[in-house]
Amino acid sequence: MLRLSALKRNVGRYEGGWLAISLIAAALVLLPIAFVLLSLFAEPSPNWAHVRRYLLADYIAGSAMLVAFTAAFAAVIGVSLAWLVTGYDFPLRRFFRWALVLPLAIPPYIAAFTYRTMTSYTGFIQATLRNQFGITVPPGTLEVMSERGAVFILTICLFPYVFLITRTYLEKQSASYIENAILLGKGHFSIFFRVVLPVARPAIVAGLMLVVFEVLGDYGVANYFGVPTVSVAIFQTWFGMYDVDAALRLAAWLMVIVIGVFAAERFLRQHRQYASTTTQARPLSPRKLGKAGQALALGYCALVFLVAFLIPVAQIAVWAFWTYEDIWSPAFLKLIMNSLTSAALASAIVMVIAVVTARTCRSLSSAWAYGLSRLMTAGYAVPGAIIAIGVLAVFIALDELLDPLYRSLGYGDNALVLSMSIAMLIFAYVIRFMAMGYNAVEAGYEKINRSYTEAARTLGRSQTGVFLRIELPLLKGAVLSGFVLTVVEIIKELPLTWLLRPFNFETMSTRAYKYAIDERILDASLPALLLIAISLISVLVIERPFGVRKT
Amino acid sequence: MTFVTIENLSFRYSPKQPRIIDGFSLSLRQGEIVGIPGPSGSGKSTLLRLIAGLEVPETGKIVIAGRTVVDDRTYVPAEKRGVGMVFQDYALFPHLTAEQNVMFGLHRLPRQQRAGRVREMLELVRLTEYAKRYPHELSGGQKQRVALARALAPQPSLLLLDEPFSNLDEELKASIRRELRDILRQAGMTCILVSHDRADIEDICDRAVALGVPLAV
Repeated sequence: MLRLSALKRNVGRYEGGWLAISLIAAALVLLPIAFVLLSLFAEPSPNWAHVRRYLLADYIAGSAMLVAFTAAFAAVIGVSLAWLVTGYDFPLRRFFRWALVLPLAIPPYIAAFTYRTMTSYTGFIQATLRNQFGITVPPGTLEVMSERGAVFILTICLFPYVFLITRTYLEKQSASYIENAILLGKGHFSIFFRVVLPVARPAIVAGLMLVVFEVLGDYGVANYFGVPTVSVAIFQTWFGMYDVDAALRLAAWLMVIVIGVFAAERFLRQHRQYASTTTQARPLSPRKLGKAGQALALGYCALVFLVAFLIPVAQIAVWAFWTYEDIWSPAFLKLIMNSLTSAALASAIVMVIAVVTARTCRSLSSAWAYGLSRLMTAGYAVPGAIIAIGVLAVFIALDELLDPLYRSLGYGDNALVLSMSIAMLIFAYVIRFMAMGYNAVEAGYEKINRSYTEAARTLGRSQTGVFLRIELPLLKGAVLSGFVLTVVEIIKELPLTWLLRPFNFETMSTRAYKYAIDERILDASLPALLLIAISLISVLVIERPFGVRKT
Repeated sequence: MTFVTIENLSFRYSPKQPRIIDGFSLSLRQGEIVGIPGPSGSGKSTLLRLIAGLEVPETGKIVIAGRTVVDDRTYVPAEKRGVGMVFQDYALFPHLTAEQNVMFGLHRLPRQQRAGRVREMLELVRLTEYAKRYPHELSGGQKQRVALARALAPQPSLLLLDEPFSNLDEELKASIRRELRDILRQAGMTCILVSHDRADIEDICDRAVALGVPLAV
């Protein structure tokens, strides 16, 4: 009895509204994923037998191949570049330090059609070789296409994840280990393989996980190059057979793979937890290289930068320059507005939920808070195709549920109202990009001293009052940058928009992709260029290369 | 006549850990200043947090000015307890000026009286000319006085001071201690002060109490 009344007293402590909103938000985030997983227990549709018998093995093999090769190449390129720009001094090092992150601004599906066209028989590379130098390359040597094209494109677009995380780690945490190894007289190679690699392993793995999730979720590149992957299959099952159940089952398979990757990473990591020796680690000071070394380092960085960023962007810019007069029109402006408004609306919802949940997490005990914050960020590791098909299934179910209401409103039998509306797309955006906004807000909250909140409460302010007058003003910067990052991610997003957009609703990314698969590459270039420009904003927000850092 | 009563208070941070406060009792008369010495980690700050309502005790009862603020059935949240607290790091809101910080707790006062009360408080801690400064433009001792003024402004029935001198230079301590004592006496506050430095408590407090056994100065 005593315990019960004490329990009631303790629960009453939390302000109900905040907790309730957070729990509802978490449930909504989970709902489509739950729908996908539950489909494994439902009666399979006839199409599924066909898919399973003839296609599933190919899809899984295709996904596995893409993941394995892309991850391997991204690891080699990302880690070697990260070590070069932190460990050694050479000309333009500071420039490459952030410039090598720029390829993240190119959506992979855009890089895919750009490179394929550039390297084709009529593309500028072969044309130049033929016309200026009289060299004719045998067909199939230079062309970026099929499986190897997909691996190449995904590698140059995604290696910056490994580069960025490893570089940050090496700069901030590794100085004492590496300087000790130098003092112990180790050579360059032995330092790299015996100190840098093992010490940076958690960072490298964290970067690779991002690459793996991106590859598993990729639709644009694999579909464009005709690589059969599970993500592509989900779309083909939906667009080809309009069979939600079979698509859901495929999504469930993909989800199982994602969970497997996740569990494997956890398992491999559990025995290795490096903490820095001191909290105030000095940054690593780079060593000067000899003349030959400098030239090699510079050449390598420049080559990657050219291939992964400058050449494709220059090519797109040239195409856009040729065509902008035809493409730039009121209809194109409408496209930009569609992209901006849907992204801004979804991001605003994301930020509101993120702020409420992050605040609730702060007031909960650690285990509950951890669980809640993991739930809120779960959407990030889940491939877009899974969320797309899960959201579609949820909305179709909702429409069935609301059928009596629709009938009374005069919509007729079996009307699809919600699942034909933009609400479905916005909902999917919110789930997919919740993690982005949430992480930004959580990082912002960590910088706000808890005693501010407590002091405000002892001064007689309610939870909401404390939030509005103390926390929100201090959180402004974090919320704003989270909003910008989320808007950018949504604008360049393809698979969700492709599958869930209402009839006749197009954004810059769907238009660019549509032109690309229709082989109207030149027409795709202007939206593509705009998408890259917008994406650059988020790289600038994260990297701040010009030293604009607010204290 | 006791003004604050704490009876058999116990607390632990998680069920797996031992109690950090175990059966603590204390009573204060109105206007009394009681010090609690002890090394860091002995549960002094936790005790203040329990009294302020920032933590909920496992067992025990706290009565302040005739009102039970916590027992097995009751829990009055921090914002409704009327207990002021000066935090160890002062916790001055960085986006508000000294004046706005002091004004922050006065939302229940009629609007036209707020400015007057803020002036009064800043005079009490002798910081009138620093009213428009932001916390990062103030010295450690000035921050402490703003924090004190802010805690006193809503006229709490009880004031808690958590290691009020730990962030100050050794040379400044003696004069600031004397100042603090005078301000507290002038305001007639009932206070509980915790510090790891016995000298703080000897200079300011009427008596000292150990966590556990009461002891006399």
